[in-house]
Amino acid sequence: MSTQKLISNPRGIPSSPFVERVEDYVSEAEPVEIVLKKFQEAISKYKFMEVNLLQRRKVLEEKIPEIEKTIAMVDLLTEKKDTHEPLYTDFELNDTLYAKAKIEATGTVYLWLGANVMLEYTCEEAKDLLTSKLETAKTSLKNTLEDLEFLRDQITTMEVNTARVYNWDVKQRRLLREQSAAVEASA
Amino acid sequence: MSNIKMLDKKEETDGDIEVSWVDQQRINEFSKYNAKIDDLEDQYEKLKQEKEYLDDVSMELELADEDELVRYKVGDAFVHVTAPEAIEKVEKESEKLGLALEEVTQQVTTVQGKMEALKKELYAKFGNAINLEKE
Repeated sequence: MSTQKLISNPRGIPSSPFVERVEDYVSEAEPVEIVLKKFQEAISKYKFMEVNLLQRRKVLEEKIPEIEKTIAMVDLLTEKKDTHEPLYTDFELNDTLYAKAKIEATGTVYLWLGANVMLEYTCEEAKDLLTSKLETAKTSLKNTLEDLEFLRDQITTMEVNTARVYNWDVKQRRLLREQSAAVEASA
Repeated sequence: MSNIKMLDKKEETDGDIEVSWVDQQRINEFSKYNAKIDDLEDQYEKLKQEKEYLDDVSMELELADEDELVRYKVGDAFVHVTAPEAIEKVEKESEKLGLALEEVTQQVTTVQGKMEALKKELYAKFGNAINLEKE
């Protein structure tokens, strides 16, 4: 027998059943329509989860470049700090408004931590903090992508299941029609 | 499941093939690769554009005056640097992007190869009963 499937993936997404033989799933008590309905429900649940994960992925994919930009700036400041020269920049006050600013060589930066909190850090501490934030974001993104792939698998499996149950049903009906036609012909 | 094609009688009976777990896994793999290749192609386009911008900028910088201060964008602010410094920075960025582009291209080729192999296996077993082309 091929490898046993997981019951749910590391982050708690249940895996879908695979229909080896349609006959096992369809019976008197569970006619085709009920089975198809259950499959459809499962598919819509998976698709809902997929939409959520896609959202999360988008947010992370935006956050990561932001953090990388901040790290680039901190690196530049660290570089300039050693030369003891002031740095001139055009600094963004608004989308289309820039102001000239002179930045003295400094060893500290202020980092915006969110929730109206800003803290002062030395350049090294800032770099470390930002690098670890970047790593966390990248790991989250990797997990989200894995989950998305897993969901994709489950959705495909369920869709194939649905198609096969439906095909089997069509075939059964045709066989029944042919049988009853044969019975009538022989009568 | 949007493209539902009605097979005629003969094709329908031939599609009487059972789907084994191995087949299901292959189909799932193919679906994953399909999604992945779309992502990779998007990434590739973005990286290519960035690289083009950097190439244009480096050409401009070569024409610029040696002492002229160039505003180089770091994060959301512009930093005044001398032209040679700016050229250096642009070169470094360009190198990084070149490497990233190569990696993405390699991944695309690998995924495409795997998809071709899977296509052959699946068409061999299912023939008409399966559709693996992009609409």
